[in-house]
Amino acid sequence: MSQPRSSYAVGTGLFIVLGFAALAYLATQTSSVANVHQGDSYTVQAQFTNIGQLKERAPVKIAGVRVGQVQSITLKPDHDVADVTLSIDRSYNHIPQDSVATIFTSGLLGDQYVGIEYGSAKQAVASGGTLARTRSTQPLEEMLGKFFGAGGVVDNVGGSYAVKASFTNVGTLSAGAPVKMAGVVIGSVQSVHADPVKLNADVVLSIDKRYDAIPDDSAAAVFTSGLIGTQYVAIQPGGSPDALKDGDEMILTQSAMQLEDLIGKFLVNGSSSDKKDAGNGSK
Amino acid sequence: MSARGQHGNVVTQSLTQIGLCGLFLLTLLAAIPRSFRYLRETTRQLWFVGAMSLTIIMVCGLFVGMVLMLQLYHVLSIFGGTSASGMVVALSVYRELGPVVTALLFAGRAGTAITAEIGLMRATDQISAMEMMAVDPIAYVATPRFLAGLIAMPLLCCVFCAMAVFGGHLVGVTWLGIDNGTFWSNMTAVVDVHTDIVNGVLFKSLAFGAVVSLIAVFQGFTTPPTSEGVAYATTRTVVASSIAILALDFVLTAFLM
Amino acid sequence: MTDPVRATPDDPTLVRIRGLTTVLNGKTIFDALDMDIPRGKVTAIMGPSGTGKTTLLKHITGQMRADAGSIHVGGRNVAGLSREELYKLREGVGYLFQNSALLTDFDVFENVAFPLRQHTKLPEVLIRNLVLLKLQAVGLRGAARLMPNELSGGMARRVALARAIVFDPQLILYDEPFVGLDPVALNQVLKLIRTLNKTLGITSVLVSHELDAVQQIADHVMLLSNGKVVAQGDPRTIAGDGSPWTRQFFGGEADGPIPFRYPAGDYATELGLAGVTK
Repeated sequence: MSQPRSSYAVGTGLFIVLGFAALAYLATQTSSVANVHQGDSYTVQAQFTNIGQLKERAPVKIAGVRVGQVQSITLKPDHDVADVTLSIDRSYNHIPQDSVATIFTSGLLGDQYVGIEYGSAKQAVASGGTLARTRSTQPLEEMLGKFFGAGGVVDNVGGSYAVKASFTNVGTLSAGAPVKMAGVVIGSVQSVHADPVKLNADVVLSIDKRYDAIPDDSAAAVFTSGLIGTQYVAIQPGGSPDALKDGDEMILTQSAMQLEDLIGKFLVNGSSSDKKDAGNGSK
Repeated sequence: MSARGQHGNVVTQSLTQIGLCGLFLLTLLAAIPRSFRYLRETTRQLWFVGAMSLTIIMVCGLFVGMVLMLQLYHVLSIFGGTSASGMVVALSVYRELGPVVTALLFAGRAGTAITAEIGLMRATDQISAMEMMAVDPIAYVATPRFLAGLIAMPLLCCVFCAMAVFGGHLVGVTWLGIDNGTFWSNMTAVVDVHTDIVNGVLFKSLAFGAVVSLIAVFQGFTTPPTSEGVAYATTRTVVASSIAILALDFVLTAFLM
Repeated sequence: MTDPVRATPDDPTLVRIRGLTTVLNGKTIFDALDMDIPRGKVTAIMGPSGTGKTTLLKHITGQMRADAGSIHVGGRNVAGLSREELYKLREGVGYLFQNSALLTDFDVFENVAFPLRQHTKLPEVLIRNLVLLKLQAVGLRGAARLMPNELSGGMARRVALARAIVFDPQLILYDEPFVGLDPVALNQVLKLIRTLNKTLGITSVLVSHELDAVQQIADHVMLLSNGKVVAQGDPRTIAGDGSPWTRQFFGGEADGPIPFRYPAGDYATELGLAGVTK
């Protein structure tokens, strides 16, 4: 009579074991278990002019080995650099002060992480200290542009500067797309219109009032988040002492690259680029 | 005539149901200490709702992984990114498809069974008989089934996800020729234990398990104890569970992401 | 003291109902009902369908609360009991459901063992012996390993009876024990009820409308109609007491004090002929 009962118990036990085995399999075989942060840690500051796609909780690596994670990313209103707080495991507390923090990308499509290359200083960076030497991420367009020697066209359109910018090609940029500085969103694209006379695209950017110290010779560029991501306008600060004011137009602009073409060249078996004509300007 | 039940608009009726369901949940939770005496019954229910659902979950998980890989491979091959397909299969299954599909299958397989069983127990006076034998039906019938659903869902979801990854591997690596090493390394590089497995698989499926088994037990206990009532309640369990799962999925995703 | 059913052995009345009033869905089921159920006897409650005979049993066991009035079982008011006390009371009361209400998950043996397993920590051997004893009493020891769906209606009812008496209750409530049984099964159940009452002195309350069966078994008959006891007495004499109720009920006349028609509005008006006939 205890026969049916015990068979239930055995079956249920097997079921539970199987469930937990599946969980263990998922956790250990299909994920980076190391991504779970453990142990004591200390924080180090680093400033980057462009963090690209770096996100909070992204890994921090030394010699490719994970030693911590990105704790926070902030942009102060009066700065044009992003403050990144790195949380690093206590056991790696001998990082030389002059080490270089660089934002790397794992592969072409992968997530970004912060890599620390050791310097030669005797003194280790303290908890709460700052890594002064940093290298920012490079937008894919810039790299590809350099690679092919076909850098973006810098348009020099007449008229005074404004929070308005003209591009020969905005790609798939549309109203509502983000405007970023140093990789952090500071505003959005208000409208995209084709100019019937000049045959290029007039883009109106609306930028948060807090960022009122953007030099007036800053450049606006249409970038793509990653290889197949959405497009956004990036503002690369210039060196002029005067700041952009409402109604100004940005002189230096860099249009969207025909990413499809680039990839087509890049990958030998490249797919055709004839499907999508991204530009709304002249051909 | 029961003017309250039949007439009255849909909104009022739904709100009443939700309210009653919430109160029922409190009753269930209050009965948990008393139901510890019936641990054996909980185990038995775990067998019925969990172990007996294993086959359908495993088969469906396998096919979901396989079809997902097939679809993704063709889309990603346009971008030359087929090596990422394993990773996308894993992410989409862990974050969305795994918990949601498991919960929908669970509602169809186990939820209806719970509702129909309790409804029939009421129709044949078994619940009253328990009352008469001084056995609390909430503690003996309702809570063990609720707890069993709560425990079974995350486990089933893990099995589902593992099978989906296996199915993706089967199609992607064995059939379509994605490199085995690339398949795994891309996956392990992106899948995060905290966001994807704890928040995605475990937390969501736990929440869905609670919702589905609550609805199933509630419908069983509140339906008119007739064969019509039971049939109606079974349908209601599937409909209400599905809506609740998808709505809750949206809310959870918004909070967890 | 802990067992209210056995608490007052001197009182000749085991269940005392006073002023019981129940309204269900706007329909008055009981209207200030008074009733005394004597200890150690077989009391049959009879009445037309829908008079609330089953409801009365549910009131006695505290499954349903009345709107007014009191029910004392062994000197304790059922309505005033907490759930724990009520459960304690029910351990001393057996209840035979109209449709047997066996737990379909368990076989016959486990069904009978169910109350024992839930309320005692007896060793397995003792449970086994007790269950087999009760099954032997209803003649179904050989069916111990059958599932409820393999039983005939009469067998299921006997199993339910074995389950109801497994705690040796002082009071058993039978809800329509003879409905849907063939003559053989009916006589088997009848014999069991009588045996239990005679040998163990169990007070039995029987809800039924099988007049023949009741006359064979009951010591006392109460005829219930319109929420009141309209007649009571010895089963052999009650049929001839001459009141219109008893005449109609036992004579089986279609119309009388027990109306043929459910209360309704004017027939002509409802058919839309009110104006035509004028």
